[in-house]
Amino acid sequence: MISLDHLCARAGQFELLAVTLAVPSGAWGIVLGPAGAGKTTLLEAIAGVRRVTSGHVVLRGVDVTTVPAERRGAALVHQHAFLFPHLTVAENIRYGARDATFARDVARRLGADALEHRPVSSLSGGERQIVALARALASEPSILLLDEPFAALDPRRRARTRSELRSFQQQRGITVLHVTHDFEEAGTVGDVAIVLDAGRVVQVAPPAALFRHPANGAVADFLGAENIFAGTIERLGDGADDVAPLRFTGEGLVLFAVGDHAGGAGHAVIRGDEIVISRGGEGSSSMRNVLCGIVREIAPTGALARVSVDVGATPLVAIVTGESARALDLKVGDDVVLRCKATTVHLC
Amino acid sequence: MKRPEGAWLTGGLVASALVLFSLLVLPVGALILRGGVAGLRQLGVDGELQRALALTAASATVATLITMVLGTPLAYLLARGRLPGGTLIGALVELPLLIPHPVAGIALLLAFGRASPVGGALARAGLGIVGSPLGIGLAMLFVSAPLYVSAAREAIARVDERYEQVARTLGDTPFCALRRVTLPLASRGLLAAAVVMWSRAISEFGAIVILTYNPKVASVLSYDRFTAFGLDAALPVAAVLVLLAMLPLALLRSLQASAGLRERHP
Amino acid sequence: MRAVLDTFARRTGTRVTEEHGASLELARRITELHRTPDVVALADHEVFPELLLPHFVGWYAEFARNRMVVAYTRNSKHAAEITADNWRSVLLRPGVLVGRTDPVTAPAGYRTLLTYQLAEDYYASPGLARALEARTPPRLLRGNAADLAALLAAGELDYIVDYESLARAHGFTFIQLPSAIDLGDPSRADSYAKATVLVGAGQDTVRRVGAPIVYGVTVPRQAPHGAAGLAFVRFLLGHEGQTILRAAHVDVLATPQFVGDSVPASVRTVTPQ
Repeated sequence: MISLDHLCARAGQFELLAVTLAVPSGAWGIVLGPAGAGKTTLLEAIAGVRRVTSGHVVLRGVDVTTVPAERRGAALVHQHAFLFPHLTVAENIRYGARDATFARDVARRLGADALEHRPVSSLSGGERQIVALARALASEPSILLLDEPFAALDPRRRARTRSELRSFQQQRGITVLHVTHDFEEAGTVGDVAIVLDAGRVVQVAPPAALFRHPANGAVADFLGAENIFAGTIERLGDGADDVAPLRFTGEGLVLFAVGDHAGGAGHAVIRGDEIVISRGGEGSSSMRNVLCGIVREIAPTGALARVSVDVGATPLVAIVTGESARALDLKVGDDVVLRCKATTVHLC
Repeated sequence: MKRPEGAWLTGGLVASALVLFSLLVLPVGALILRGGVAGLRQLGVDGELQRALALTAASATVATLITMVLGTPLAYLLARGRLPGGTLIGALVELPLLIPHPVAGIALLLAFGRASPVGGALARAGLGIVGSPLGIGLAMLFVSAPLYVSAAREAIARVDERYEQVARTLGDTPFCALRRVTLPLASRGLLAAAVVMWSRAISEFGAIVILTYNPKVASVLSYDRFTAFGLDAALPVAAVLVLLAMLPLALLRSLQASAGLRERHP
Repeated sequence: MRAVLDTFARRTGTRVTEEHGASLELARRITELHRTPDVVALADHEVFPELLLPHFVGWYAEFARNRMVVAYTRNSKHAAEITADNWRSVLLRPGVLVGRTDPVTAPAGYRTLLTYQLAEDYYASPGLARALEARTPPRLLRGNAADLAALLAAGELDYIVDYESLARAHGFTFIQLPSAIDLGDPSRADSYAKATVLVGAGQDTVRRVGAPIVYGVTVPRQAPHGAAGLAFVRFLLGHEGQTILRAAHVDVLATPQFVGDSVPASVRTVTPQ
C-alpha cells in the first residue's frame, strides 16, 4: 500500500502541496496530470530520493518518511531509464538483485535477456526502458514507481511489455504507481487514477469514472473531453435525492443532465462520442438535449471523423465513425441536429 | 555574400588560435630544444639530478594520492550541493591558487611551522615541515590540491545524480551508490584531475624553496644551477622536469582520445 | 640604496625601476638572460671579477662595506643569554637551530664558512669551524638570504649567520662579531685571506678566499641609458648619496675604490666630502 498524508516536497520549480492519496496494496495506481504538475517529484518523494518538507509517506502501513531510499523497498524507473553506462546489460539487471536466478527469469519474461550481450550505449530508447524495468523488478520491490516507462516503446512492444508487467505485478502483489500521459494506458492497466495539477491532487477515481465524470473543467480539458462549457447549474427536482435532474445554462446553450451537483457555477462536459448527429429535426427520441447547428469543419481521423458544429456562436465537437459521416453525406455549411442524453452530460 | 564572410571568420579564428598556440608552445619547445638532449644524457650520469627527479615525482605522487583520498569527498559534497555554505567553502578552497607561491610557503610556515601549535606538535613527533620531504609534499599539496578539488567537482557534477538515486532505490546505501556508480562514472574525470594536480605539483618552486631547500626537488635544483653555474647548467634540468611533467598529461590525452567514442548519457 | 634612488629620482625626474636579488642571481640575469640594467650595485663585489669583468662591465666602484653577523629574534632559543663573547657556545648548544645560506649559490654562504674558520684561529679553538658548520644540516640551508630570513622570522630557526645589512633590513637583533673575523674591515684584507674554503663538488669545485665584504656599483657596457646610469653613480658616490647611505646604517668607505681600466673620468673625480 502507498499512502501519502499531506505530503509537501519541492524540486526546483516543481512543488507538491499537501498531497494526500492512497493506492491499495497490490493495486496499480495511475498518475495523470499536465506537464509541471509535480508527477515525477511525487514518485521521487515516495522513493526517498527527494527530500520531503512536510507530511508523511506510508508504505505497507509503515511511516517511511525518514527511512532512507534503500530500505523502502520501492524501485523507481525513470522515463530515461538511467542504465549504468559503465556496466553491461546483464550487470545492470543484476544490480539490485539478491537472487541471480530470479533476475534472469525477470529478464526473460520482459524480453531483456536477448539484450544482455549488447553494450548499454548501443541500446535504443525502448530497449533501455525494458532493461530498466527488468533491473527494477529484479530487486524484488514491493512497490514499483514508474515514470512514463513505456514512452519510448513501439506500440506492439508496449502492449506486450505492459501486459507482462501487469501479470507479474498481480502474481507478486506489487503496488504500482505509474505516471503516464497515455489515457488509453491509464484505462488498460489502472485500478485507480490520480489527477495531479500544479502540485495538488484534483481527483482520485477509477480510470473509467474519471473519464466519464471529471472533477472539474480543468481535469476534463486535460483528459481531452471535446466539449467543456462554463455556466450556471440549477437543480430542477425537489432535491430530496442525491441524483437529481439538473439544468445547465451557459455559452448560449441550455443542457439537461442528471447528477448530484448542488447547483451554482460550474462546467458542463460532453464527450464527443456521446453526441449523435442527424439531418433535420424529424422524429422524436428519448434524448433530452437537442441542439441545431451548422457544420463548420469535418476532420477525418482514422476510422473516426471529428465534426465541428456551430450552435449559435458556440462550437461543439461530435465524434462519429467515418461511415456515418459518409452515410449522412455531411458537408461544411449543412444544417444538422445534435442530440445527447441527459446522462451523458457531466456537470461539475 | 555568405561564403567570403565565413572564410574571413574561419581565417580570424585560425589566426587568433595560432597566436595563442605559439605563445604557449614556443617557450616550452625552445626549452626542450635547448636542454632536452643534454638533459636526457645528463639523466644517465647525474646522480643529483636523478635523486631530485625521484624525490619530485615521489612527493608529487604522495601529495596527489592524499588529495584524492581527502579531496574527493569534498568535491562530491560541493558538486552535489550537500554542504551548507557550499559556494563559500568552494571559493575558500580555491584561495591557495590566488596566493603568490613564495607567500604560500611563508603562510605554511606560519600555520604549520615550529612556532605554531600544530607545527610544534608535528615537530615534537619528528615531523618537521622545514627541510623535509614532508615540507615538499605539503607545499605541493597546498598549491595544487585546489586544482584537483575543482576539477573533481566538475567531473562529479557531470554524473547525473539520478544514477545514484536509481542505485539507492535498488538497495544501495549512499556510500555503496557512490562507490558502485558515481565514482566509476566520474573516474576518468577524477584521473584527469589527479594528473593535472600532479603536473602542477612537480613544477612547484616558490612555496617549496621556502620550506625545503634541501633535499632539492628538480625545480629547486634547476634554479640553483642557474644561480651557481648559469643557464647551460640549468636548462637540462628544467627540460627534463618539463618532459617528466608531460608524461602523464600525454598519457591522459591518449586515454581520452581512445575513449572519446564511448558515450556516457542515455 | 632605495633611499638614494628615491632622492635621485626626485631630484632629476628620472623614472627608476628596481630589481632585487642575490648578487650572483642578478649577475646571471646579465650574463645569461641578457637583461642589462643601467646601474648594477652588488653586495658582493667579488661577483664583478668573477662573472662580469671584462665582458659585461669595464669597471666598478667599491663604495661601502658590510660584515657578517649572527642574527636572531627575541623568540630564539637562549636569546636572552647570547653575547658577543659567548655566541659560539650558544650556537653549539643542543637543540639550537642555526641557518646559513648555501655556499654554492650565495656568497654569504661561503663567507659564513670563512668567518667560522677565522673564528677558529681567533679564539684558538681547534675544531670550532667544523663544529659550527655541522650545526646547519642541509635541510636548514637556503639558496638565498631572503628565504633564510623568512625562516628566522617564522621561528623555524633560532640563529642565522648573514650580512649585517640583511639583519637590519629585516629588523632582526644581531651580535656584532670581532672585526678580525667578520670580513668587514678593508684594512684586514691580508689576514682575511688566510682563510680559504672549497665550495661545490667534483669538477665544479671552487676555492673561495677570505676578503673584505664590499659593495660595488657600476654602469654596464650595454646599459640602455648609460648617461643616466652614470649620473646616478655620481650621485651615489657624492656627498648627498653618502649622507643618505650613512643615515640608513650603511658603512660607507671613506673613499671609493675603483677597479678596472676604463673608469669614466666623471666618476673618478667625484669627491664624497
